[in-house]
Amino acid sequence: MKATELTTEIRELNLTYLMLAQQMVLADKDMAIFRLGISKDIADVLAVLTPSQILKLSNSNMMLCRIRFDDNLVFGMLANYSGKEKTMSQSHAAILMAGQPAEEIA
Amino acid sequence: MRKKSVASEAKEIQTAMEMIHLGARLQLLESETSLSRERLIKLYKELKGNSPPKGMLPFSEDWFLTWQPNIHSSVFADIYGYLIAHADCRGIEAIIKSYKLYLEHCEVAEMEPILSLTRAWTLVRFFEGKMLKTASCKQCSGHFVVHAHDLNHRFVCGLCNVPSRAGKTNKPRTLTYIAMAA
Repeated sequence: MKATELTTEIRELNLTYLMLAQQMVLADKDMAIFRLGISKDIADVLAVLTPSQILKLSNSNMMLCRIRFDDNLVFGMLANYSGKEKTMSQSHAAILMAGQPAEEIA
Repeated sequence: MRKKSVASEAKEIQTAMEMIHLGARLQLLESETSLSRERLIKLYKELKGNSPPKGMLPFSEDWFLTWQPNIHSSVFADIYGYLIAHADCRGIEAIIKSYKLYLEHCEVAEMEPILSLTRAWTLVRFFEGKMLKTASCKQCSGHFVVHAHDLNHRFVCGLCNVPSRAGKTNKPRTLTYIAMAA
């Protein structure tokens, strides 16, 4: 993949992410806070972004969303389960991820 | 009798309807709304087509500690804890929202939701009454539902240390699942 293609893809993903996140916050703020793993302050910011602000924000060569688990345990549970363990490893991962702190504005 | 505002009553009926759809028992509706018992029974019949089940609510806190129910209740408890810590909702609203998220989790993970809304509500009451609490597992550091007065300083959860006959009940669960869908 060429660098220009890569930045285009990232821009598009940023745009989709921000639009979806805003839609989720407007539909149900509390549930969006859980699903997105963000704090109330970020949810408030997302709710009032104008379309042109979303465009400007997404226009970047850096990804605006990032991976929510930084340990091997959760990663292993989500990625490496076999048929029978599926239910349990997904529940285990859900328990661990719900226990993580929310992303906050520093 | 004090005069009730129509708007707040409409809101309570909305909440009651949502709870009935999620499978709430009558006692839960009575305790979380200020609507009269007769109106609640009428509402229940209208929505479900039959009378609300009679009898006492399940009251045992031990149910939450057996292997499979413990995993389900821990998923719910962690979602609830997250909402209380980070979002604005409180009380029955928080319970309803966490329960919906729990149902969603069951759907994605393809498991039968064995925790009912009534049980989820009971669980929160047990937390408030300090009979149950969550303890973090020494191996995975996830939070799980435990007895408040047990010694939990070296607690290992049922998912890190799976008991040998875990999830093997006498009757196959798939059958009840199919019966429910039919």
